[in-house]
Amino acid sequence: MAVSNGGTGTGTGTGTPRLLLLDPIEQLNEDEKRKYIKGKKLGEGTYANVYLGHSRRDPSLLVAIKKIKVQQQYQDGMAPDAVRELKYLRELHHPNIISLLSVFSSKDQNLNLVLEYLPLGDLEMLIRDVDRVRYGAGDIKAWMGMLTRAVWFCHDNFVLHRDIKPNNLLIAADGEVKLADFGLARGFADPGRRMTANVITRWYRPPELLFGARHYGGAVDVWSVGMVFAELIIRAPFLAGNTEVEQIALICRQIGTPTEDNWPGVTQLREYTVPSEAVAVWGKEAYMGRFGAVGADGVDLLVRTVALDPKKRITAREMLEHRWWRTDPKPTKKEDLPRKSGGGEEKMGADLKRRPGMLEDESNSRGAKVARKLDFGQAK
Amino acid sequence: MSRKPGGGGGGLPAISTEDMCPVCKTIRYLNKDMEFLINPECYHSMCSNCVNRLFNDGPNQCPYAGCHRTLRRKGFRSAFFGDLSVEREVDIRRRVAAVFNQAEDDFETLRDYNNYLQMVEDLTFDLVSGGDAQRRAAEATLGQWEAEHKADIERNRKAGREADEQSRRRLAAERDAARQRRVEALREAEEEKLERVRSREAELDSLAQGETGAGGGAQRVQLKRRGHAAANRAVEAAVNTATAAADVGRLSIRGLKEKKKAPAPEGPYDPFGGMDFVPSRYKVHEGLSHPSIEKYKVDPGHITGGYNFDEYTTRAMFEAFAGLGVFIEDEKEVGIGLSAGEVATISAGIAAVGDSMELD
Repeated sequence: MAVSNGGTGTGTGTGTPRLLLLDPIEQLNEDEKRKYIKGKKLGEGTYANVYLGHSRRDPSLLVAIKKIKVQQQYQDGMAPDAVRELKYLRELHHPNIISLLSVFSSKDQNLNLVLEYLPLGDLEMLIRDVDRVRYGAGDIKAWMGMLTRAVWFCHDNFVLHRDIKPNNLLIAADGEVKLADFGLARGFADPGRRMTANVITRWYRPPELLFGARHYGGAVDVWSVGMVFAELIIRAPFLAGNTEVEQIALICRQIGTPTEDNWPGVTQLREYTVPSEAVAVWGKEAYMGRFGAVGADGVDLLVRTVALDPKKRITAREMLEHRWWRTDPKPTKKEDLPRKSGGGEEKMGADLKRRPGMLEDESNSRGAKVARKLDFGQAK
Repeated sequence: MSRKPGGGGGGLPAISTEDMCPVCKTIRYLNKDMEFLINPECYHSMCSNCVNRLFNDGPNQCPYAGCHRTLRRKGFRSAFFGDLSVEREVDIRRRVAAVFNQAEDDFETLRDYNNYLQMVEDLTFDLVSGGDAQRRAAEATLGQWEAEHKADIERNRKAGREADEQSRRRLAAERDAARQRRVEALREAEEEKLERVRSREAELDSLAQGETGAGGGAQRVQLKRRGHAAANRAVEAAVNTATAAADVGRLSIRGLKEKKKAPAPEGPYDPFGGMDFVPSRYKVHEGLSHPSIEKYKVDPGHITGGYNFDEYTTRAMFEAFAGLGVFIEDEKEVGIGLSAGEVATISAGIAAVGDSMELD
């Protein structure tokens, strides 16, 4: 080993074929790379390119290869979202979480994640296509079951996803919903360790993050799950604020104003600002009109997921123990779930290339919005 | 054909067994309407008179010497084949086929299906011409399979019946379509004749009126129209056959689907998807604490933001026990896309660094 290394050191200058003298790590990488064949490009973004590929040994095994670009800000190392994605997907193996098959680096130190190929697009596509896709309470229950299981699995393995939204719920060929995009994920923090409050796409962001809480737990993901649940029922984003202030206002109006009464200590949070006229927290009955399609039990579950105080919010495990799953209608079997033909692979490309989390926030919000609109058009 | 005269050339015509009842020795000469019956218990044939005589009063032993089977009146029927061994084999095959009635679609590969057919044929052979022991073994296998796969057999039988029904329907539809076509052709011919007559009349009329030029024009128009009508009819017919074909195609596809839809016994929905992460090596009690986190437990920042201390203690316990009872040797094969060596190095790395991996 040492001899061959010495050989490389002296040999590079004279043009000795390097291939023969790769050091073991590079050789390992090369082997891994050779296992897959990269095919056509599914999507291109500022953050990553997505390619369709297949295994060299079994050409029928399709994969999506997400090639993360070297970014200007992080030239000296890997982009943190890539690291996060890698780190957690390597650990989590669950039917409802996208599986990472392999990782290798290609030339220019580009990181390539080999992910399972999910050809049927994402949940957002199905929610938005009001004209052509119809689904019922059983279908919502099945999708919610798969989503909640994924979140529960993450939380039971001490991982916060922090970017749950219909865009990140991809659909496999057999109809199984898979949670993807772990670019903002992180492990549960120790007490006293601060986490950033600037995570989760705004529409799905819980009030404690909007108020700038730096110590939070799995409850943040549960709020997002509740938002996805509501969106599945009304087929439009439930709380779609254009700015964070507007988002808070929407939460106050639609769910209730967080006050010391319903959430002790909330006024002490750093960015606590609410509209002046306080709205009392709406009861279950107020939701029945809009969300009644999933029945009284479903509404009960929804109300529990959108509790303002994260301490009173239901946990992912408690969600799965809820009686809604056991009442009629039964969840649709995954192979019978509504699906859309066409546009799926572009959609996967679009979903994977996107920078995780807050793309519609920040300074380039306008540009990001336009791009999203284009995406919709492409999917149709 | 040449053998018959040869056989008959040996003097007196032998009374063939076909013409004499082996039990009462009656010959056909004495009883023109003699009918031979067999019982599938032992396939010994006898005339209907004997059957009535012996079995009308209830079950009785077979009158053949050495055959001790008990026969019932109900079991007797006339044989379809002259050769009773063929009759017996056909019966056995029918019985086996009723039990082993899987179709090719029920198997994943053609090879599986062929293996299955081979197995069935072996069993049938044992039953038909095997020794006593073999027959008994085959009989046992058959009975066992029947008992174990009752639901499957019933389903396949139903599917088979449906397929029969479908093919019958399709045949009927085809026949109907053919009839329709014939009628159509007849009608067309009739129409054409009529048209010809009409155009001839028109021609005559025009001739009578002395407008020769206009008459020729009319005929041309007529011809053109006829051609047009024929083209229209052709298009219509094509569309009709196309829809009919689509109909037939859809029918058979539906049949396939129904067959595929196995009536899997569906248990109650398990929201957890059959997973459970209750730790096996320890139990987490509520309200576990550690002096170093006491101060955070009263910190408003932690409390209001929804930081969950139970989650922390659960994780701390999990990490404390992580790796216990795990043997790298067993895990070498499990790694995702990693060589065994790499797994080992990574595990070793984790072991060396300890928990610091988790605390980013």
